[in-house]
Amino acid sequence: MAGNFKLDRGPILERLGGDEEIFSMMVEMFLQDVENNCASLGNALNGGSLPALQREAHTIKGLLATFSDDEGAAEAHGVEQQAKKGDAGGLPEKVAFLQARMREVAEVLRQL
Amino acid sequence: MHKVLIIDDSDINLTLIKALVLKLGDCEPMLFDNPLKALTWCREHVPDLVIVDYMMPDMDGLKFISAFRALHGRDEVPILMITANDQRDVRYEALLGGANDYLTKPIDRIEFSARARNMLSLRTGQKYLADRARHLAVLVDEQTLAIREREKELIFRMSRAAEFRDPETGAHIQRMAYYSQAIASGLGLDAAAQKLILEAAPMHDVGKIGIPDYILLKPGKLTPEEFEVMKGHARIGYELLKDSGSEILRAGAEIAISHHEKFDGSGYPNGLRGHDIPVFGRVVAVADVFDALTSERPYKKAWPLEEAVRFLEEGRGKHFDPLCVEAMLAKWDEVLDIRRRFKDEDVPMI
Repeated sequence: MAGNFKLDRGPILERLGGDEEIFSMMVEMFLQDVENNCASLGNALNGGSLPALQREAHTIKGLLATFSDDEGAAEAHGVEQQAKKGDAGGLPEKVAFLQARMREVAEVLRQL
Repeated sequence: MHKVLIIDDSDINLTLIKALVLKLGDCEPMLFDNPLKALTWCREHVPDLVIVDYMMPDMDGLKFISAFRALHGRDEVPILMITANDQRDVRYEALLGGANDYLTKPIDRIEFSARARNMLSLRTGQKYLADRARHLAVLVDEQTLAIREREKELIFRMSRAAEFRDPETGAHIQRMAYYSQAIASGLGLDAAAQKLILEAAPMHDVGKIGIPDYILLKPGKLTPEEFEVMKGHARIGYELLKDSGSEILRAGAEIAISHHEKFDGSGYPNGLRGHDIPVFGRVVAVADVFDALTSERPYKKAWPLEEAVRFLEEGRGKHFDPLCVEAMLAKWDEVLDIRRRFKDEDVPMI
């Protein structure tokens, strides 16, 4: 399992060409959507649709990667690939982890 | 202002890409979180750049690219596909399926700006070439029209040069050309053929330029020997005009050599019979004789119209193709109008 999320603004800002304005906008968007994203991930799992879960995990992977959470993004990638293969084993725990990870990243971002 | 279409089901990505596009300058971003709605928009609008995510509900990016490329006039619009780092197969498929380039997530501003600018430069070049091609096409049309007008004018002047050596007049050329067009119309020839005969018929007697004055201008009746020389104008006209690159001159050559042939085979220079005589020759034969009969000349008065019509009718199947005579009589109102428009003292250009 991944360790605690630590925000490293350096590589994020480097990717954004040092643009603080865009960074702030992305933080705001993340915080705005985090609960919706967690809910969509949960609904996909509860609905039993692996293609939907694959898609939601893909979205989570992108969001976490945006804030350079490589470990969280790797976990999301694992769920995405597992769902793609049609393997439902252990998914509830993994989804719960991703939801918690999203909220953890949101909490760190709120402190900015 | 470049129209940049951005399609991503993630709001945060849409917002990020929009911000990056605006930083490029001179760009108007159009945002869609649903590829089907974006496709509907694309039916009415042509973007200058498409930035599309791969994984989306309803329609993935590859299917979007395929549907977009299938729209008319959208085959060259640059497309950037956005994929995750681990989707190499998707990137290959996108590039083979019509995407021009790709970006990986998370998006890097430097990489994004460079690739997007390259795509927009490509688009600017495409539009410049298309505008230039349109401009050149207009210029070619204008020049072609000018050349065609000059060609018509030269034909008219060349025809008049021949007619000046003859008692016939410039108005005769105009009338017989328009009569020929009316007969062609009555025969059911298509619009292009009608226009061609109108433009080529004035050259029917251009070969007279090669006939000696003592014969051409002789006030009295020609001797049989002199008439044989006179008949040569048909072949001289043909030799002058044949093998030209101009369709009008080639038609003029055919008319020159065939307008003195007669339907029963008694004409000259080749004694052709019936439908062996080219249709333009059969048409011009009727038009030329009718105008000669109904025009005044230094050596004769103009025939009354009824007598000229009787002459044509009596000549059906002998001198004239019966269908050409019928076609002219069927266009009688037009014939009268042409007589009114082109009087001997007034010779406007065709």
